[in-house]
Amino acid sequence: MIHPIDTALSLVILSALFSFASSRLPGLIKVLAFQGVAVSLVPLFIGHEMTSGGVSFTLTTMIIRGVIIPLSIYLVIKKVAIRREVEPIIGYHASLLAGLVLIVAATYGSHKFNIPSSTHPLLLPSAITLLITGIFLLMTRRNAIAMVLGYIMMENGIYLVGTTFSVRAHHIVEFGILLDVLAGVMIMAIILQNIKQTFDDVDTAHLRTLKE
Amino acid sequence: MDLFFLSLVIIILGGALPLSIGRRFAAMKTAAVAGIGAGCLLGCIDSGFKLSQTARFSASFDYLKTFSLLFQMDSLSAFFLVIIFAISFVATVYSYHYMNSPGKSFRTSVNYFFFSLLIVSMALVVTAGNMIAFMLSWEIMSLSSFFLVIYNYQTAENRRAGYLYLVFSHIGAMSILTAFGILYGYTGSFGFAGAGSITDTGKILIFIFAFIGFGSKAGVFPFHVWLPHAHPAAPSHISAVMSGVMIKVGVYGILRIYSILHFHTPLFGEMVLIAGMVSGILGVVYALGQSDLKRLLAYSSVENIGIILIGIGIGMIGVSSNQPVMAVLGFAGGLLHVMNHSLFKSLLFLGAGIVLQKTGTRSIEALGGLFKNMKISGATFLIGSLAICGLPPFNGFVGEFLIYLGGFKGVSLEKTSFALSLLGIVSLAVIGGLSLACFSRVVGIVFQGEPRSPAAVGRDEKGPTMLISMLVPAAFCILIGVFPQVFIRSAVKAVSSLELGYGRIPLEPFMEMTGNITRAAMLFLAVLFLVLALRTFLYRNKPVSRSGTWGCGFTQPTVKMQYTGSSYAASILDFFRPVAPRLEDHPLIRGRFPQKTHYRSSIHDIAELHMGNLIIRPILFLFERLHWIQHGDIHLYIGYILLAIIVLLFFV
Repeated sequence: MIHPIDTALSLVILSALFSFASSRLPGLIKVLAFQGVAVSLVPLFIGHEMTSGGVSFTLTTMIIRGVIIPLSIYLVIKKVAIRREVEPIIGYHASLLAGLVLIVAATYGSHKFNIPSSTHPLLLPSAITLLITGIFLLMTRRNAIAMVLGYIMMENGIYLVGTTFSVRAHHIVEFGILLDVLAGVMIMAIILQNIKQTFDDVDTAHLRTLKE
Repeated sequence: MDLFFLSLVIIILGGALPLSIGRRFAAMKTAAVAGIGAGCLLGCIDSGFKLSQTARFSASFDYLKTFSLLFQMDSLSAFFLVIIFAISFVATVYSYHYMNSPGKSFRTSVNYFFFSLLIVSMALVVTAGNMIAFMLSWEIMSLSSFFLVIYNYQTAENRRAGYLYLVFSHIGAMSILTAFGILYGYTGSFGFAGAGSITDTGKILIFIFAFIGFGSKAGVFPFHVWLPHAHPAAPSHISAVMSGVMIKVGVYGILRIYSILHFHTPLFGEMVLIAGMVSGILGVVYALGQSDLKRLLAYSSVENIGIILIGIGIGMIGVSSNQPVMAVLGFAGGLLHVMNHSLFKSLLFLGAGIVLQKTGTRSIEALGGLFKNMKISGATFLIGSLAICGLPPFNGFVGEFLIYLGGFKGVSLEKTSFALSLLGIVSLAVIGGLSLACFSRVVGIVFQGEPRSPAAVGRDEKGPTMLISMLVPAAFCILIGVFPQVFIRSAVKAVSSLELGYGRIPLEPFMEMTGNITRAAMLFLAVLFLVLALRTFLYRNKPVSRSGTWGCGFTQPTVKMQYTGSSYAASILDFFRPVAPRLEDHPLIRGRFPQKTHYRSSIHDIAELHMGNLIIRPILFLFERLHWIQHGDIHLYIGYILLAIIVLLFFV
């Protein structure tokens, strides 16, 4: 029988691949919301004993990850952006190919970390995949909102890494990170509006003109 | 809790409280002065008591289980603590009437906060017992003094001075860190204890790096460039603390490193002695050429650090050539000069502060005749000037005389040590003569004569706390000069914690000699005052006509006929032209009815001059070449971060 974590993690990796190929912002946001929910499900099945507090923490995380953050970003693009394209520097097909290579590299690289074998074998590779995918999106998408989404994807990866090396105070640490991200998203929303006002666009290539 | 930490807590509270009541100027100032002053007084008494008891004491704090902060006090620390707390106390009292702009209420409270941080961090530096505690306090000291320097940040000149200071203090800190890093590499612990057992190469490397680092804080030539910029920029009581005390912390660092390395090679002594001679002579030459009163005093600090280093250098040579008497005389003389210089230099800076506050100018050539209305400031400034020239019966003489005696002990040595001891004596004499010229110039131009500009006309000296806080160090200058025994003994006690293992050295004959000279000088002064009194008595009822100084019998003298500071110094400075190039701006006078003309001269500091050509320009050139790294593309910046992570993860 297939373990529920395997299902969740394959969905996560699938969503990462989707994000490589999605060309429009609303689609990318939906992929991200889906990914957030999938990632938040993982701790429920990982085999730690769950207190009611832990479960409620996980559910709160899921709501923030899956609903609040995507929704606020969606509202921002409704308010600000005219163009819904993610404006890639590297094309979608090339991105997809690079994504496949990155997954292989992540799986290979995860063996370098000597983690205890008791944890789930797929957990660390998919976490690293998410991290790298996030950085990849940050680097290869010129649209500022797409970059924010990449950043949030990195955070999802960090969450998975956190579950891998889970400690007792795991939820509290995770909650702290989440609050950081939430604050980060709020700040980015404001900055985005400013960029939009200044350059009449949210293309980060314009920021080059600010250089001395 | 120990009294030492209690006093630190009081000082910090005294500095933090004004931040909350920053709007009410008078209340804020009172709270700050009372808190910081009380803490300093308590600390001074406590450390003086510990110095006389030779009680060792230590306290350690563990931070995050990994970094333990260790503080301990021996007689060397206690000696420096007495100076730090005493001078800070005087400066705090002075500030009550000196900081008199209610419009800058909040800024003044911030200034008090950083001032309290500076005092506490200096006290912690000299008590630090391991590298982490030392570096932490050292950095707090550098940063808090940086914020004090840029108090008047509106002027571009002050901002530049602050920037220069920040750069220099971090280069120095980097050098100290390098020394500590080497030490850690050998011993594997953050403590200083195991430093005595490492290899000789390691010790030499550590000492050289530490000397550069501490020397740049102390203002040793050629690392002094920041000093004449930063010290004048700060408010005067801060300049007094920085010039009187903070640069001495650098001297403390050199002594401490020397003591923990416990390596008695002649190399260290020669290095320190040569550095001392160079900064002593050049410092006073540049001081002589300055026209800015506070800048002059700052250069004079470079000179006095030179004298202190000559003393320490002679002490080190004495240790390496097994001459206990010479060693103790050198070290004790250097330490005593540390104390003396902190007294008279802070006194002079406070005097310069009151002149600056009342006249609004720091330019010597614009002042004159201030003695007529500023009797107390003038008299204390004169006492400070006499003391800094090393004349008996003031305190400067006692310290320098011990160094002389140590040097004369070294004349009986061989080869290099002989030559260096002799050179040390000669340069001490040269420094003494030049500083006499320098300070006779200052006193003569600023306080004597007639006002050279409207700024100096009819100034009073109001502000009781300022006057009191100048009278106290002046009184101590005389006290140490006349009764040096107890102070020499405490300096010798501080030397004992260098752990040279000499036991008791009989210093009574030297004290006797010092005492005789002091008595002779007092006799001379007594005769002088007697003659003055006689003159007043005999001329009691006779008509005395008065005319302006430098009037020279002209019917209509103008103030422009007076001797100027530049002309007074010019003939001496001509001799030092190779090391002190002079820039003159003086259009020639032509024709029978010459046009209006002017004369302007300034002395260049060769260290500053060559620093630009040899160091800054190549660095700028290099970074111009690397400018393409900063291209402004956010995606590639993220790429840099990724690259750094990958390198850190897989290759480190």
